[in-house]
Amino acid sequence: MAEPAPNYTLDKAGEDKFTLNLGPQHPGTHGVLRVILQMDGEYIVRADPILGYGHRMQEKIAENMTYLQVMPYVCRMDYLGALSYNLAWCCAVEKLCGFEVPPRAEAVRVIATELNRISSHLLWWGAFLLDLGGFTPFLQAFADREMILDLLERITGSRLTYCYFRFGGLPSDVDEAWLAQVMEFIEGFRTRLPRYHDLVTTNVIYEHRVRNVGVILPFDAAGYGLSGPVLRGSGIGFDVRRHEPYSGYDRYDFTVPVDDMGDCMGRYNVRMEEIVQSLAIIEQAIGSIEEGPVRSKVPKILKPPEGEVAMAVETPRGQLVIHIVSDGTKKPYRVKFRVPSFANLSIFAKLARGQLLADALAVLGSMDLVIPEIDR
Amino acid sequence: MMTGRFLARVLEKAGCACRELETPSPGFACQLEAQADEVVGLVRIIAANGFFLESISAVDRLKEKKMDGLYLFNHYEESQRLMIRIEMDRSNPVLPTISKIFPGALWYERELGEMFGIRVAGCPDTRNLLLEEDAKFHPLRKDFRGRA
Repeated sequence: MAEPAPNYTLDKAGEDKFTLNLGPQHPGTHGVLRVILQMDGEYIVRADPILGYGHRMQEKIAENMTYLQVMPYVCRMDYLGALSYNLAWCCAVEKLCGFEVPPRAEAVRVIATELNRISSHLLWWGAFLLDLGGFTPFLQAFADREMILDLLERITGSRLTYCYFRFGGLPSDVDEAWLAQVMEFIEGFRTRLPRYHDLVTTNVIYEHRVRNVGVILPFDAAGYGLSGPVLRGSGIGFDVRRHEPYSGYDRYDFTVPVDDMGDCMGRYNVRMEEIVQSLAIIEQAIGSIEEGPVRSKVPKILKPPEGEVAMAVETPRGQLVIHIVSDGTKKPYRVKFRVPSFANLSIFAKLARGQLLADALAVLGSMDLVIPEIDR
Repeated sequence: MMTGRFLARVLEKAGCACRELETPSPGFACQLEAQADEVVGLVRIIAANGFFLESISAVDRLKEKKMDGLYLFNHYEESQRLMIRIEMDRSNPVLPTISKIFPGALWYERELGEMFGIRVAGCPDTRNLLLEEDAKFHPLRKDFRGRA
């Protein structure tokens, strides 16, 4: 059950009770999240996340622009998984207008999005361990992430806020040399992946920090609408790529990793396994890629029919739903972004209660939040 | 019509309390129209059948002087997006809180309050969520003219 708004002025401060302000500028909050904590000594009595420091009113901006102009804004919401957002916006508009996407473009979209997912998970891996006090893993992850950034830079032209997909396909095709480079990266990365586990997963100190910390029960997952690795770490194997396939994901053979523990370790295991699955998807996509056009014919000035559409995409952080209401003009009438981190963070107050402050930061890190995505 | 087994159960229990759209829009398995006072009963049935809350949002229809509250639900076992649309009077939009059933609804309801000026009856926390704490304007209303 939801809680009423706290009144900090009336809270009686006991001998060891005090209010602590965490953030908005704190390395553990990954961006500009502020959490007001009521502490009893080292333990958290109550956590109250304060949002909005990165608020840009994206939904209103979208109402004042054409469908094409909105596209780069969408990619700046989740700066670590920009291609998933790019894909979601393109697929939503294509679904609304009934555009076809050539098979080659769909395959390239999957390859690029999955590469982006791996780079996002790698950054999370490094940053999560940084939260726990380990500096070396961060550098290890960034060495591999750098290779993915180079690969994506070659096709998209940017290194972080990619905006590569267009309505009806891609603006430009990829060449054979790029596909070969991706295969080369996969082979090299597969040999380096065991090092990640040797360095961290089996580390005793690490295990003590994450085992049985921040346990999310499957019952709570539905109540808070969790998704992504946060959900799958609690034993529910819901993945949009499997349950509501888009962009040809139903053609690839992959498993949805699930961990029953529900703690920080569970979420960690799920993401590490997801990296392996993403590699497999990319490999299959490159293996079965067809020659052909990468863009179907779409009108230059887009006027979708009147109506509405919902499009769900699995971003590295969970289920994104874009809901567009169109009134038949060049600009969307209303756009709602259902972002995964928003729902995932809403359970934090419940998880933090009764935890040590250091453990709460581990929980926050294990959620893999991107704050601009929550604030929109 | 793409009705999964969970959805069929919900519709059976809900009975004729709500109107169902014949052809749902792409991306939705089912779209319902209901009155504001039926929401809590409907959401209880939906929650009992294992659905999770995707989002709560609204659409301002300035020309018709109406405002629609939109509830989106989905199921973890088979994807079947269910939408409930509640039509309200634009001058005094009121929705009941469902945060007692879905605790995650609280943030969406706070967002409705600040962005659309919708009063969420019984909502335990009505502070602004994303806007500054003393903001009294409602940016997602169509008659709001910002800098954009």
